[in-house]
Amino acid sequence: MKFVCLNCETYMNFEKVEKPGEGSLGVFFGCPSCNAKFSMVTNPGETQMVSSLGVKLGGRTVAAEPFEMTRGTLKEEAQAGAGQMGAYLNEKIQGGQPVAASTATPEKAGEKASGGCPFSAMVAEMGLTGTGKPGNGTAPVSSDFTWTADAKEKLDRLPAFVKPMVQSSVEAYARKNGFKSITLQVMDDSKTDSPNGMTWSREAEQRLENIPDFIRPMARKEIERVAKERGLVTITAQVMDETKDKFMKFM
Amino acid sequence: MAADKDLKTILGKLKYSDDAKVVQQITEQTKQVHARMAGIKYKLAVMSGKGGVGKSMTTVNLALAFARQGAKVGLLDVDLNGPCVPRMLGLHGQSLKMTPQGAIPPVGPLGVKVASMDFFLDDASPVRWKGPMDVSPVWLGLMEMNVIREFLSDVMWGELDYLLADLPPGAAADKPPVIAGFIPDLAGAIVVTTPSEVASDVVQKSVTYARDMGIKVLGIVENMSEYRCPSCGEVNELFEGNTEAMCEALDLPLLGRVPFDRKLARTFDKGQPLLDETYPTIQRYQEIAGRIRTLLDYKKVLADKL
Repeated sequence: MKFVCLNCETYMNFEKVEKPGEGSLGVFFGCPSCNAKFSMVTNPGETQMVSSLGVKLGGRTVAAEPFEMTRGTLKEEAQAGAGQMGAYLNEKIQGGQPVAASTATPEKAGEKASGGCPFSAMVAEMGLTGTGKPGNGTAPVSSDFTWTADAKEKLDRLPAFVKPMVQSSVEAYARKNGFKSITLQVMDDSKTDSPNGMTWSREAEQRLENIPDFIRPMARKEIERVAKERGLVTITAQVMDETKDKFMKFM
Repeated sequence: MAADKDLKTILGKLKYSDDAKVVQQITEQTKQVHARMAGIKYKLAVMSGKGGVGKSMTTVNLALAFARQGAKVGLLDVDLNGPCVPRMLGLHGQSLKMTPQGAIPPVGPLGVKVASMDFFLDDASPVRWKGPMDVSPVWLGLMEMNVIREFLSDVMWGELDYLLADLPPGAAADKPPVIAGFIPDLAGAIVVTTPSEVASDVVQKSVTYARDMGIKVLGIVENMSEYRCPSCGEVNELFEGNTEAMCEALDLPLLGRVPFDRKLARTFDKGQPLLDETYPTIQRYQEIAGRIRTLLDYKKVLADKL
């Protein structure tokens, strides 16, 4: 934060920090030209903001101690429940009256009576349903594809929260490959489909099987990255060899 | 009159200097965090969107598993308001030793070094901060992030193979992914869930948010997969869920399944953790730690197996 002396058209210099009261800081500035002085006084909230940054205004004169801020700011048992800022707000804003919990707000003019949610119009505008989910496109039941009974059964066995994602992924694969019907085979093939548009040769797929299953997805991505760097769209044994060579330096 | 002058024109003529030295100090804080973390080979965050899924139990047991495999391990309990790692490892009541160079962490079973907010608190005392935290959670958030920054910059971990950070619960709107992003050169995050659909739903959000933050999620640990009867040893399912399906949908490996084990949990509750590596549930943690090591060294695996 800087202050400008408008008379002299120059920045005022930071001079010192004092603590005029508990929870308050007085930060002093002086104009280097006309020597005008002024002090900015912070309330407990503003003081806390500075303190929370773990910095000393004007820089440090002694090195920071370990956990300086944590130790200096942890409240001791006797001080617990002080409510310093609450008191400050009461005094300044509420004229000494305690800050009361807000009571039920009466319906405002222009707010729709039905539902009573002030955000419902905004939610509708964003194309979201009342549950916060997109209003269309993810419902597992709606589909442009014909699902065979066994494929549908397999999809239905998935937990409800996973189903839309899997369905969307399988259908995207089917769309890309021009399938009209989703079979078990399409579902299985979609699992190995590359989002990067790469195709894998049979030999390359077999070599990938040598990698432990829990790191196979990561390996697949790395291999596809190598192919992409070389401008290739098919993963062949040669790409596998090049990837292997690339990682040999980590051995 | 001075008040009529155009401030934009005046500022255009002036050169700004940070004479309150705030930016300089914040830069130094960041450098200090990086310097302190430089001796640690792999920094891992253990997180979950959901509370009560056993993050701390998983973190502590993974730390012990790595230590059993001969690694030098540190454990940072980042759950400021519910720190429980010291109690689980029998370190409750100990404290960080303050020196001018930094804070020396207490050493727990198998040589695991531990830092936790618990070391600053009395028995049964919650974390309470001086200042106007009572009216603004924003200030509280600022304060907590800076406390975490001090844990990262001020603890003298020394040379470590693994530092595991046990993060508090929370998904997108809360802090865990942000905290994880605060750790320099984070090797990745391990996400803990239970097979319950409710937990999985929240965990998914957490994974998505972590990825948005640029955090590499290494895999998922399914905790409380089954219940092992302490009397007869028979194992039964606790929840009906499908973590495998979730892993497949998220394109993440399932690192392992751990049963709810009352006998093991009780030893941690008492601060006298069971360390027997032949114990079945501990073997599960050993396997998960092995998979995490493989994931971290996946480049070597690729070179070897492709």
